[in-house]
Amino acid sequence: MIRFEHVTITYPEATTPTLVDVSFEVPEGELCLVVGVTGSGKSTLLRAVNGLVPRFSGGILAGSVVIDGRTTSDVAPRDLADVVGVVGQDPAAGFVTDFVEDELAYAMENLGVAPDVMRRRVEDILDLLGLHELRHRPLASLSGGQQQRVAIGSVLTAGPRVLVLDEPTSALDPAAAEEVLAALTRLVHDLGITVLIAEHRLERVVQYADRIVMVPGDGRPIVVGTPAEVFGGSVVAPPVVELGRLAGWSPLPLSVRDARRVAGPLRDQLASIDTEVFSRKARSLGDVVATTDGLQASYGPITALRGVDLEFRAGEVVALMGRNGAGKSTLLNHLVGLREPVSGVVQVMGSVPHRLSARDVVRVAGLVPQDSGVLLYHDTVAAECNASDRDAGLLHGTTRIVLDRVVPGVDASTHPRDLSEGQRLGLALSIVLASEPPLLLLDEPTRGLDYGAKQRLVEVLAQLAADGHAVVIATHDVEVVAAVADRCIVLAEGEVVADGPARDVVVHSPVFAPQVAKVLAPLALLTVNEVQLALAAASDSSYS
Amino acid sequence: MGSDAQVTMTGPRLLHPGAWWLWAVALSACALRTTNPVLLCLIIAVSGWVVVSRRADVPWSRSFASFLRLGMIVIAVRIVFQIFFGVRIPGTTLFTIPEVTLPDWAAGVSLGGPVTLESLMAAFYQGLRLAAVLACFGAATSLCSPYRMLRALPTVLYEAGVAVTIAFTFAPQAIVASRQVREARRLRGRSDRGVRAWSASAMPVLEGALDRAVALAASMDSRGYGRRGSSSVTVRRRSVGLVLLGLLAIAVGSYGLLDPSAPALFRIPALGLGAAALIGALVAGGKSTTRTRYRPDPWIGPEWMVSLAGVVAFGSFVLVGRMSDALSPSTNPLEVPVVPFVAVIGLLVAALPAWFAPHPPTLASASSPMVVAA
Amino acid sequence: MTVASPSRVDAVRLGLTSWVLLIAAFALGIVAFGWPLFASASSSLDSSHSSDAPWIFVILIPLLIGVILAELADGSLDAKSVALLGVLAASGAVLRLPSGGVAGFEPVFFLLIPAGRVFGRGFGFVLGALTLFVSALITGGVGPWLPFQMFGAAWIGFFAGCLPPARGKIEIAMLATYAALSALAYGLVMNLWFWPFVSAGDTTVSYVAGDSLVENLRRFWGFHITTSFGFDIPRAVFSAIFIVVAGRPVLGALRRVARRAAFEAPVVFVDSPVSATSN
Repeated sequence: MIRFEHVTITYPEATTPTLVDVSFEVPEGELCLVVGVTGSGKSTLLRAVNGLVPRFSGGILAGSVVIDGRTTSDVAPRDLADVVGVVGQDPAAGFVTDFVEDELAYAMENLGVAPDVMRRRVEDILDLLGLHELRHRPLASLSGGQQQRVAIGSVLTAGPRVLVLDEPTSALDPAAAEEVLAALTRLVHDLGITVLIAEHRLERVVQYADRIVMVPGDGRPIVVGTPAEVFGGSVVAPPVVELGRLAGWSPLPLSVRDARRVAGPLRDQLASIDTEVFSRKARSLGDVVATTDGLQASYGPITALRGVDLEFRAGEVVALMGRNGAGKSTLLNHLVGLREPVSGVVQVMGSVPHRLSARDVVRVAGLVPQDSGVLLYHDTVAAECNASDRDAGLLHGTTRIVLDRVVPGVDASTHPRDLSEGQRLGLALSIVLASEPPLLLLDEPTRGLDYGAKQRLVEVLAQLAADGHAVVIATHDVEVVAAVADRCIVLAEGEVVADGPARDVVVHSPVFAPQVAKVLAPLALLTVNEVQLALAAASDSSYS
Repeated sequence: MGSDAQVTMTGPRLLHPGAWWLWAVALSACALRTTNPVLLCLIIAVSGWVVVSRRADVPWSRSFASFLRLGMIVIAVRIVFQIFFGVRIPGTTLFTIPEVTLPDWAAGVSLGGPVTLESLMAAFYQGLRLAAVLACFGAATSLCSPYRMLRALPTVLYEAGVAVTIAFTFAPQAIVASRQVREARRLRGRSDRGVRAWSASAMPVLEGALDRAVALAASMDSRGYGRRGSSSVTVRRRSVGLVLLGLLAIAVGSYGLLDPSAPALFRIPALGLGAAALIGALVAGGKSTTRTRYRPDPWIGPEWMVSLAGVVAFGSFVLVGRMSDALSPSTNPLEVPVVPFVAVIGLLVAALPAWFAPHPPTLASASSPMVVAA
Repeated sequence: MTVASPSRVDAVRLGLTSWVLLIAAFALGIVAFGWPLFASASSSLDSSHSSDAPWIFVILIPLLIGVILAELADGSLDAKSVALLGVLAASGAVLRLPSGGVAGFEPVFFLLIPAGRVFGRGFGFVLGALTLFVSALITGGVGPWLPFQMFGAAWIGFFAGCLPPARGKIEIAMLATYAALSALAYGLVMNLWFWPFVSAGDTTVSYVAGDSLVENLRRFWGFHITTSFGFDIPRAVFSAIFIVVAGRPVLGALRRVARRAAFEAPVVFVDSPVSATSN
């Protein structure tokens, strides 16, 4: 169905090719997962499937890409619309109309499908993706998961045999991501559609994948094979696979269910370990940095937070979790003084943040917003760093030093919008960190980050906590929470539902538990690292 | 298609925008033929009544009030103009403004002088006429969803329509984004108030917008945008020919309008021919694309009736204009305007859409296929 | 690392038919706006006969704009241009919101002129027309003046794309001058359109059908000086200042997106060198 033959792609202004001699084949009806670090050429590969590269972006394509018998060098993307459907990361950016029904019909209108056929197909897709209640809604009023499903539906109505998705679940909370993935697997298994999907959050998808294409980047050859073959030897792998490698399970389990079936002996081995030892509470907590007292917040008629009482101490990393719309961003906005509470008191380092002037606020609390791009104004990274030094009244070059510590290797003359996700986040983080605020807030920083970048972020946050900052991170990524958080707060409908040590809160929750905890339940172990340490401790104690 | 029309004929739905605009244009053409204040007020009342009866409960339907306000401003401006720039015509003087003659570099006109009742009434009539035209445009704007207007554009203007739809979708996002960027300034220690904040937040919003445009274009391309059937050479030649014919006719018609010695054939008929030829070119061009339309607004009974109501009103005015002088009551000497019966009947017919046009759907009845575009 | 962006792309190409249409539209525009200056006594345009001939232009001008847009779009308006048009029109319309077109203040030109410069004259023409259209739809101000505003803004965008190539400070100075002049011209032309409606009949600054061109011009000048000229001067100055202050970043952003959208980037397909050691 999809065949790449010795494909080498060079962009118009690049000195080296982005993809070199890529050859692989995806048979019909398979779900193929494309894996690789940011900037490795995953997106280029995906866009080459329907010819956007090189026809839309310019460049040189050597070799051939054949989709269902058609070669992209002969056929333009618009003429492949009935064979290949492409869905991007941000569905809202691809919407052409205002309403769900019109968006679904858009592709068919372009293809000149007869009106009654259009009508039938729209009804079918509404049913297939569970969208029939939303049909008259304006697109702007839908949630992220609903928008992503509408985007998928809008390319499906043209009847393609191949579906290409570029990080479809990165902006979604776990429940919405599950909806989208369930819809995709149904398409693959019920309709035999070939799906090519790129994802960073491998732990969600790898169990459904029939084939993996790993793009290492830097012109190295790609690795193609079944998940067990590819992950057996690669560095980047989901936690369940890493656990399998550590415990020597064969064949490597890809899902929690497969792992649990073989995890019995491991659980017995670790049964006697006291897991409290691994808690990072060993780090002494400092003074209270911020408090909220009966915080009540609302957006117009909607109450976003009700009676929230919290306390944040220096030296701890707090994870803020909950559904989209539960009030996480609102809480962070109030802590940094962007909003004024309806009632209740917010205090950071003794002052009320929304009454402080902007210059004073950045000295006590810093927020890295969800869209780090809103913080960046200037043409080049160097200009941003200089402006940040000036704004905060620091020595020239301070921000640059922080940036090099957080994300090494960023070229000073790049335009901030041309940076990768991880680099942009690092730049925003270093701008906020430069004035060393005691309270550091991050809103969904892990979106779009690959495993390596997430690992670096975790190290930076742990270091910051060790230096005495109070770090609050709002996130959906349970693996990051497992790796770095001391304490976990769960919000639902504006109220605090859970507030306690991370281990206690996440381990037994079906939604927030990391993969290792799910595999080894009822043992309270969160990461592969902890399992490793526990195994070492267990073998020590067995000798003593 | 027939069953579709059956279902929608009786339920609440939005009328085809073209019907409302035809009605409104016919009504404004009536307003242009007269300076009779009674008839003009009746036109404003008719348009207001139809708007109040048949507008949907959505943001864009509130614009009628602003058009009325604008109409009052126009009347006031026209009267003020008359007071300051009026040419002296003998009549009953109300008051006198001291005369001033502007210097030569400002055209040497003279301002002021005695202000007569007759001249003020003439100015009022003309201002009222403009206000009536504005009320008709305001009615059409309040009754039609801009979204459905765009979808009703002829196929040949499709690309422009898409650009406008994208603009519509994007504009509220731009406003939200600019607020977010401005607030984010606080996160960097810069103030978020004042002119600096507004101006400095414009660039990131613009850059974000441009990046999104590229992503949007890729999405459109992938979904088949721009796929054209091979339009045959004859179709192309036909539409180009019609365009050139239309231009020629318009040129002739414009000349005829300016020069009174040209035969009457060279005026309105030539312009009409030119307009028809251009419309024909648009329609012919539309035949060459391979796009289809999903559930277009139907043009059925109510649409015909609404359009006809407007045309009947216009016809009645033309009739009155032929029969008597009542459409242009004289202001010098000032006399009480006569109200022609036929014209009033015509305007009452124009008010009929308030009863037989279909009700706009409320959000509660959103199960209907033609839903309010909020 | 950074490649020099193209100084100008031609996002919307103009064919022969388009040129003919544009020239015809320009000529018709002169008549549609300036008919009071040319009308002779007892011609149909003399509104003391209450004819609706001047209002025919209200129908003709949009028709002509429609035909031009259809012609320009025929094969030349691809997804990139359309998406950029939509986004820039929305940005321009949003810029216009705070002022609402009050006193003729048109900050919409701030984006129109640089965009016409970077993306070419065809693009500038379409963008001018669409920006004002979108702005009117958004603010609910669709009135009989709209086709004429669209027409005027379209020509401003067109001529912005006709300016000679330049870079750096010279470019900014040229654009600032053009912005000031076009603001004055726009005000003049829109006032010319408005003139017969507001001063019809018997005022000292009304047009007199049949009078000489010079006399009518003199009266119009009197009308213009006393009405909108006072608003035109600050608007022209403000436009020029804006270009001087914000011109470079805006031009930079537009050129950057022109590069990223790869409007004129070469697309090459080659056979891959047969590799014996490939998999």
